[in-house]
Amino acid sequence: MEKKNEQEYTEQSGQTSKANEDGLSILGRELIRDKVALISLILLIVVVAIVYGTSIIMDKDEIVKVDLFAIHEPPSDEFILGTDYGGRDIFGQLIIGTRNSLSVAFLVTLMTGLIGVIYGLVSGYYGGHVDNAMMRILDFFLILPFIMVVIVFVSIVPKYSVVSFSLIMTAFLWMGIARLIRSKALQERELDYAQASKTLGSSNIKIMFKQVLPNLSSLIIVTMTLNLAANIGLESGLSFLGFGFPESTPSLGTLVSYATNPTTLEDRWWIWVPASVMIFVLMLAVNNVGQALKRATDARQRRG
Amino acid sequence: MEKEKVLEVKNLQKFFKLGRNNTVKAVDDISFDINKGETFGLVGESGCGKSTTGRTIIRLHEATGGQVIFNHENVHGKKSKQDLLKLNRKMQMIFQDPSSSLNPKMTVMDIVAEGIDIHKLAKNEKDRKQRVENLLETVGLNREHATRFPHEFSGGQRQRIGIARALAVEPEFIIADEPISALDVSIQAQVVNLLKRLQRDYGLTFLFIAHDLSMVKYISDRIGVMYFGNMVELAESDELYKNPLHPYTKSLLSAIPLPDPDYERNRRRVAYDPAEHDTNEEPEFREVKPGHWVRCTTKEFEEYKKELKTK
Ligand SMILES: Nc1ncnc2c1ncn2[C@@H]1O[C@H](COP(=O)(O)OP(=O)(O)OP(=O)(O)O)[C@@H](O)[C@H]1O
Ligand SMILES: [Mg+2]
Repeated sequence: MEKKNEQEYTEQSGQTSKANEDGLSILGRELIRDKVALISLILLIVVVAIVYGTSIIMDKDEIVKVDLFAIHEPPSDEFILGTDYGGRDIFGQLIIGTRNSLSVAFLVTLMTGLIGVIYGLVSGYYGGHVDNAMMRILDFFLILPFIMVVIVFVSIVPKYSVVSFSLIMTAFLWMGIARLIRSKALQERELDYAQASKTLGSSNIKIMFKQVLPNLSSLIIVTMTLNLAANIGLESGLSFLGFGFPESTPSLGTLVSYATNPTTLEDRWWIWVPASVMIFVLMLAVNNVGQALKRATDARQRRG
Repeated sequence: MEKEKVLEVKNLQKFFKLGRNNTVKAVDDISFDINKGETFGLVGESGCGKSTTGRTIIRLHEATGGQVIFNHENVHGKKSKQDLLKLNRKMQMIFQDPSSSLNPKMTVMDIVAEGIDIHKLAKNEKDRKQRVENLLETVGLNREHATRFPHEFSGGQRQRIGIARALAVEPEFIIADEPISALDVSIQAQVVNLLKRLQRDYGLTFLFIAHDLSMVKYISDRIGVMYFGNMVELAESDELYKNPLHPYTKSLLSAIPLPDPDYERNRRRVAYDPAEHDTNEEPEFREVKPGHWVRCTTKEFEEYKKELKTK
């Protein structure tokens, strides 16, 4: 009799609610609903495909070779975007520069994401003394003078690559995401599903990475996308100031930094305008996508 | 007849340190036993330390003082990984909030199978699936529910999934922390009936936590009443209903509505005022009548005894 009652109840209340569906599919849907973000995303994919595609077939050494007979050529059939003071093809530099800048941004975003997520998760999940100690270490990294260390690094290491430059940037940029994940993990570990896992006998590592981490996935994706936009700008800024890549490794920042020369700024727009536009477009596009994703994680701001 | 004790809680304390001079005594020196196969009800108002008691028993909190002895074994003693796993299998918990007790990113299959995986209870993938489906049917769900996610279920159904998860490791003792208080009244009785049926079929022992006496009375063999971290009265359910002694218990009982118009017309809610006790003497937990314990001073002790005789 009892059993029958229960069964009946199950049938009638078997309705499902879509109110709380899977986070990742919400992110995807919001991107499609938001036309500006969708166009931005397509634009980004196209730029990335072109830049990485053509840079494979391009001869990098050829592009950065000085050619004294072709100094400061304006755009022509031979040089689509003209040349710089060393007679180097700007279009080629723009492609390789965009690739380098994007590679740095991607690498830094991935590495800061990886370190930050693991650090924040461990700190927040364990809490207490572990959290305290780990947050003090993080504070130490926060107060290190970023620009100064980068300047020192640039002057000690004569030839650095995309990878080593990314590493040094990562060392100073993982703290933001670590703090964010930590505060979320602090909340998440108190929830009953994590406690239930504990009473079943799961190890802490298992609970952290198999139970808690998946619940932070949308937050991680959104944060990393927004970080990507910031990192594109950061690399360009440092290179512009002369603390980024040397001229032998062109990047968007090195191209724009030619504009520090007044004559170049006024008369030779082809050298710096394309790179500036590229930085602007890339940052704006990535940011658009990031903002759309961010909105998707907040039910009140969703568009559909 | 001597009953076999499954759980003995002895002078259990759990304090939370919030700041330098700020300690919350969530559980302050409580003792009780739970016999094999019975349901022990733990009641008290919100914040009196019921959940903390349950969570300390199952080791989600370290005890500040006192002992928890489960099957003659000290739960909080030093333990090897193996012993801990064994303990986890025998003692399980059902949680209060069905919306947060299931991981939203996991399918019902994986949620229910978590314990099966940890304790390696399934011989192979097919056996695992079979076990989960059987468990779902045991708690009144369908096997088709296994592939769905928690948000696709109602509160009562989620609570059933939580029960299936606890049952998966074949426990002897289950702590049910207000398993029905987040549910609709109409569904509460169904979940309680399910728990009763499971107890009968599997010989389970329950610690059933609730904040009011109405449901607990129906399901429990014995009841402990908590007030601000202390146990103030403990007796068999019928005895507690017929002869409540502590003023706090009386106040709790007076709050239960009954479907009896005569009773309801005369029902008067009694408020509990802790100031009515004599504050010069620290009260102790005393046995007023075999099996009926009250926290009282010596003077109150005599009065309670007299009160019982006159009834
Ligand atoms: N992790 C914690 N840290 C600090 N204080 C806590 C913690 N858990 C509980 N407390 C405090 O301990 C006291 C008892 O809390 P507990 O959750 O055990 O109450 P409860 O009887 O279960 O109440 P409810 O019926 O609302 O669930 C409360 O004052 C609460 O604020
Ligand atoms: Mg509680």
